[in-house]
Amino acid sequence: MEVSDQPSEHQFLKQKHIQYVIEQDSHKSYEYWLSEHLRMNGLYWGVTALATMDVLEANLPRGKVEEYVMSCWDSASGAFGAFPKHDGHILSTLSALQILLIYDVAMPTLDSEKRSQLTQFIVGLQQDDGSFQGDRFGEIDTRFSYTALSSLSILGELTPEIADPAIAFIMQCQNFDGSFGLVPGSESHAAQVFTCIGSLAICDLLHLLKDDTKLSNWLSERQVLPSGGFNGRPEKLPDVCYSWWVLSSLAIFGKKHWVDLPMLEKFILACQDGSDGGISDRPDNQTDIYHTCFGIAGLSLIDHRRYGFKEIDPVYCMPSETTQHFTKWKRVS
Amino acid sequence: MTTQLLMKNPEFYTIWNYRREVLLHNQGDRYQQLLEDDLKLLMGLLKRYPKCYWIWHHRKWCLLELVKLEKVSWAYEFAVVSKLLEMDTRNYHGWQYRRYVVGNIENEQSSKLESSGAPKSEVDTALLEINIKEFEYTTAQINKNISNFSAWHNRSNLIPKIFKLLRTGDGSKYPQTLELFQRPYTLLMHELKLVKTGTYVDTNDSSVWLYFYWLLTEKLFVEDLRSGENEMSYLDVLDEQLLMVEELNMVETFESDNQTENCWCLKTIILIKGLIQKEKEENDNLLTDDIKECLKKLIELDPLRKGKYLDQLAGKAAIIPV
Repeated sequence: MEVSDQPSEHQFLKQKHIQYVIEQDSHKSYEYWLSEHLRMNGLYWGVTALATMDVLEANLPRGKVEEYVMSCWDSASGAFGAFPKHDGHILSTLSALQILLIYDVAMPTLDSEKRSQLTQFIVGLQQDDGSFQGDRFGEIDTRFSYTALSSLSILGELTPEIADPAIAFIMQCQNFDGSFGLVPGSESHAAQVFTCIGSLAICDLLHLLKDDTKLSNWLSERQVLPSGGFNGRPEKLPDVCYSWWVLSSLAIFGKKHWVDLPMLEKFILACQDGSDGGISDRPDNQTDIYHTCFGIAGLSLIDHRRYGFKEIDPVYCMPSETTQHFTKWKRVS
Repeated sequence: MTTQLLMKNPEFYTIWNYRREVLLHNQGDRYQQLLEDDLKLLMGLLKRYPKCYWIWHHRKWCLLELVKLEKVSWAYEFAVVSKLLEMDTRNYHGWQYRRYVVGNIENEQSSKLESSGAPKSEVDTALLEINIKEFEYTTAQINKNISNFSAWHNRSNLIPKIFKLLRTGDGSKYPQTLELFQRPYTLLMHELKLVKTGTYVDTNDSSVWLYFYWLLTEKLFVEDLRSGENEMSYLDVLDEQLLMVEELNMVETFESDNQTENCWCLKTIILIKGLIQKEKEENDNLLTDDIKECLKKLIELDPLRKGKYLDQLAGKAAIIPV
C-alpha cells in the first residue's frame, strides 16, 4: 500500500523498501562481503526500518535473526561482535541488544550469565575521566559514551557511579555554539549532538543544559536550501542521515517545529531509489541500509501516523512501543 | 595476510585487532621497524579512505607504541596531517588528528624541558610558540576559504589558550602575532575586521556569523571591554558592530532582486540589539518593538525556521541564547 496524501511529488515506496531490506542478506556480492564489519549494525538498521514500518515479523522472522545475533557472541570479551568470530565491540553490542529487544523486550536468549558479562564488558570500557573506549584498544569518542549508556540502560545496570562521570565528560564536549563534538575541543557535529543529548536523556540529566535555545538554534540552522535537507556541520552538504541525528535531538527538546518538516520530508522522499528501493544520502546517489534506516526513522519523527508507522523513540532509536517496556533510569535528587 | 585484507577493506576492525596482537609479539628494533612500516601503509590507506575511523585509530595506536619505545616522531606526524588537510580542508578526522598531534608535541616538549630542570616560563614559552603557530595556521586556512568553520572553531579554542600562556610565556619570536595579542581588546578589533571582510565576501556564509557571535559574547573580550582600560567600551563595540551589520544589510537589500533584507544580517541585528539592552540593563524584556519587527521579517524571509521565530515572538524562547 502506497501512502497517497503526500505533500510532494514523491510517493513513499514502502513495498520496495521492504524488499530492499530483506534482500540485503541474499546480496552475496563482494561489497556485501566487505561490509562484514558492519553486519550487526546493518542488521539493526534493517530491523529498525522494518519495525518502524510495522512489517518486521512478517519479513524477518524472529528465530533466524536471534540465532544470528547469538552466533556473534564473543565469549573472550563477553560482548557481541559484528559477525561470528569477530571481536566484541561496544557498537555491535548495542546493536545486538536493540535487535533482541525489538523482537522481545524480555530478551529470553540472553541468560543472566551473559547479561552480567555484558555489564562487566561495558563498565570495563569506562575511563577515569568518565569517557568510554570502544574496545580494549583505546579509541575514545562520545559515540561510545552513548552506546555504553544506552546498553546499560537496556540491561537495567546504570548507576550514578557510572552516569555522573560519563555525563561530566560529555559536558566538556560542548562548544561555544552550544553544540557538541567527538571529544573535548572537537568541532561541533550533528551526529555527536545526538549521542550527547541522548546520553543526557538516558541519564535523566537534560537539565544540566539549563537552556537548550542555543543548541536548538544550531540544530535548526542545519536545514539548508534549496533541498530542505539537513547537513551535519555549517557549510556542508545535506545528507539524509542527519534527518535522524538533528530531528531526534530537536524532538527531545520538544522543538521539531523549529524546522520545516514538509521540506525535510520532501528531501528524504527524493532520496529513494525508485526502481530498487532503499534510500541514499542525497538524491540519485547509491542507496545503503544505513540511510534507508535513518530516512525511515526520520519520516516516523515527522509524522508516523500519516505513514502508518510505529512511533519512534528519539532517545533510543527504537519503536516507542519497545522502549516503554524497560524501566528508564530516574535520578533521585 | 592482514595487510592484504585491510588494503581491500580497512573497515574490518577485527583484523586490525588481530594485527595489533601480532605486532605486540615483537620487541626492540624489529618492533620499531614494523610499526614504522605500518605508518607508511596507513598513509596510503588514509589518502584512499580519509573518513575511516579504524585507520586513524590504528595510526594513533602505532604512535603510542612508538612512544613506549621512545622512537616516535611527532614532527613527522605533523607533516602528515598537514598534507592530509591540504587534500580536504574540512575533514573532521583530519582536524581531530591535528589537535591530537599538537597535544602530543606539547606534552613531549614540556616533559623534555621539565626533566632538564627548565623554569615554568621556559615551558610556557615553548607551548606558546606551538599555539601561536596553530593560530597562524587557522589564519592561513581562513584566508584561503572563509567558509572553513573547522578553522574558525580551532581559532576560538586557541585564542583563550594563547592569552593564558602569555601570562608567563614569551612570544617575542612571533612579533606580528604578538602585537595582535597585546590584550583581548586589540585582538578583538583585529578579529572583527576579519569577520567584516568575511561577511562582505559572502553574507550568507554561516561559519563567519557563528564566529562573529562568539567574538561578541566571549567572556575574555567582554570583561576586557568592561574594564574601562580601552578606547572603546563593550557598548561602544556593540553599537559600532550594529551599524556595520545594518549597513551591510542595506547593501544586500539594494543588491537583491526583490529588495529583500538579508536573513543573517537580521538575525545578527536581533542578537546585537538584545546584547545592547542587556548591557544597559534598561529593560528586562528583550522583546522590544524593534526586535519584534525583525522577527516578523524573518518569518517571511527565513520560513524554514518560522516556528522558532514564532516561539520567540510569543516569549516562549530566549531572544539571546545562552
